[in-house]
Amino acid sequence: MTAQEQMAALIEIAERTGAAHEAFRSDDAIYVVVHGNEILGAHQVPGVRIEATETDDGIDAAITVERGVVLPKPVNLCFGHLGKEGRQVIQSHIVIEDGAKAVFMAHCIFPNATLFLHAMEGTIEIGSGASFAYREVHVHSREGRIEVRPVSKVRVGPGSLYEGDFTLVEGRVGDLNLDFDVEAWGAKSRVEVTSKVYGKYDDTCKVRDVVRLTGEGSSALVKARVVLSDASRGLFLGMIDGAASGARGHLDCTEIVQGRAQAEASPVVKASHPEAEVTHEAAIGRIADDKIAGLMAKGLSEDESVDVIVSGLLR
Amino acid sequence: MTALLEVEGISVAREGKKILNRLSLKAEEGQITGVLGRNGAGKSSLAYAVMGLANYRPQEGRIRFRGREITDLSITDRAREGLTLAWQHPARYEGVSVRDYLRLSSKKAEEKDLAEALSLVLLDPRSYMDRMVDKTLSGGERKRIELASVYLMKPRLAILDEPDSGVDLLALGEIMQVFRLLAREGRGVLIITHREDVASQCDRSYLMCSGSVVLEGTAEAVKRYFLSQCEPCQEPAALEREGCSE
Ligand SMILES: Nc1ncnc2c1ncn2[C@@H]1O[C@H](COP(=O)(O)OP(=O)(O)O)[C@@H](O)[C@H]1O
Ligand SMILES: [Mg+2]
Repeated sequence: MTAQEQMAALIEIAERTGAAHEAFRSDDAIYVVVHGNEILGAHQVPGVRIEATETDDGIDAAITVERGVVLPKPVNLCFGHLGKEGRQVIQSHIVIEDGAKAVFMAHCIFPNATLFLHAMEGTIEIGSGASFAYREVHVHSREGRIEVRPVSKVRVGPGSLYEGDFTLVEGRVGDLNLDFDVEAWGAKSRVEVTSKVYGKYDDTCKVRDVVRLTGEGSSALVKARVVLSDASRGLFLGMIDGAASGARGHLDCTEIVQGRAQAEASPVVKASHPEAEVTHEAAIGRIADDKIAGLMAKGLSEDESVDVIVSGLLR
Repeated sequence: MTALLEVEGISVAREGKKILNRLSLKAEEGQITGVLGRNGAGKSSLAYAVMGLANYRPQEGRIRFRGREITDLSITDRAREGLTLAWQHPARYEGVSVRDYLRLSSKKAEEKDLAEALSLVLLDPRSYMDRMVDKTLSGGERKRIELASVYLMKPRLAILDEPDSGVDLLALGEIMQVFRLLAREGRGVLIITHREDVASQCDRSYLMCSGSVVLEGTAEAVKRYFLSQCEPCQEPAALEREGCSE
């Protein structure tokens, strides 16, 4: 495969799983496409600085959205590999300067990988009065056990919003060990973190979302939706620490188990400041009978009913 | 002539307790049939048994639909035969929009049909179509969406379990019109309720007590009996003493 063919193949999958049609084509598009440790294509516009260098087993990328720059369209990052085996380590340093607004969509595409390590070590620094959404969608093969290690440290400044979405529902998960650590240090900053994972076969899905609310009046919503089928296993470790006056947090975790799958959740809510308030709800178990019966009474089969419920939950 | 639905002497037990006791009733095409009874009489259990919920399989008796025995059919197969249930407490579905939910009950429905169904249950399609059928809906909104879904399904028989709960009195009359519309199309409607004013709008009614039917007649007669006699009906023994068992 030529580099051009690889790029076309990765983009085709990215478009099928959420990227807009012009995301990698139009003149004002901002994107980086990486296959293994090769940068196949990149495009940028004024207001955004992208510096990417190839390393032995991946890339090192620094992306800065400059002060006051409001990006009307998402920045698309495509990190993938079309082969069966290998490793890819992405180091990323994202800076969203004061007053900037941006949405990044990361497409992590490994449609054929059976023995692969994909690691992301990222830092995100959000200034004041800024807004940043980072959405990461994975596409894996149906076979094999890819190891996925997303590790991210996020710092959110005063009055800023951070939205983090991690979705791994297509293909099998493999062995996921996600570790997101967010500190909302700015006054009145807001954090919304959502993880959606669909484990199959003997996948292992470990999701750790930690948010520390150290800014006065900061707030957080941490959501996890994990569906585990076959003999997969899931562990959700969620923690919100209300560590400042007026900090508010809510942790909401639903894990559905099917077959012989096993789920565990340990939501930790902490108010290390006396004027903080953190709440949580967690539900683990099989799909409630009344949900399935409710759809069967409309003529859906049991399997179709389960599909509707599961895809709704992971949407 | 065989009735649309014939329930013949079914008994259902849960956790060793008989909650339906040799219950029999019928529902006809083109009619609104009422089942009136106090809380705990077994009305919802009857609905579950007719719909085919696994834990409510009758130990005796049988259920026939359009002359054919359905006692051993799954919920899905009963629904495909044209039987459906609007639950007393409809389940909620995260991530499923009202539009997608309504489409589940009618694959060929177009946007305008969905909007019409919502309008019939007094929900503004513009503000509800993209809402989620999840915990953000109030109980009353959720029930109306369920009624709209049943309406779109165009079932041969719709069982409505306490369709009035969570729906205010003013709206009730208009919502009854939806069922009347179904009946006028020749469909059967079985309304389960603990409110005699709802039952009195039915064409025929049954009075249920302690898992059995204790009276069958015009809606007015059943209402009169219910109001004057039925307060103490709590145990079958009491029924026998008062001579109101079958
Ligand atoms: N799953 C169950 N296990 C044990 N008892 C039940 C169960 N479901 C219902 N019952 C009992 O059966 C009786 C009838 O309940 P239900 O059908 O809900 O009555 P209604 O709908 O008329 O209020 C009640 O006494 C109730 O407590
Ligand atoms: Mg009931």
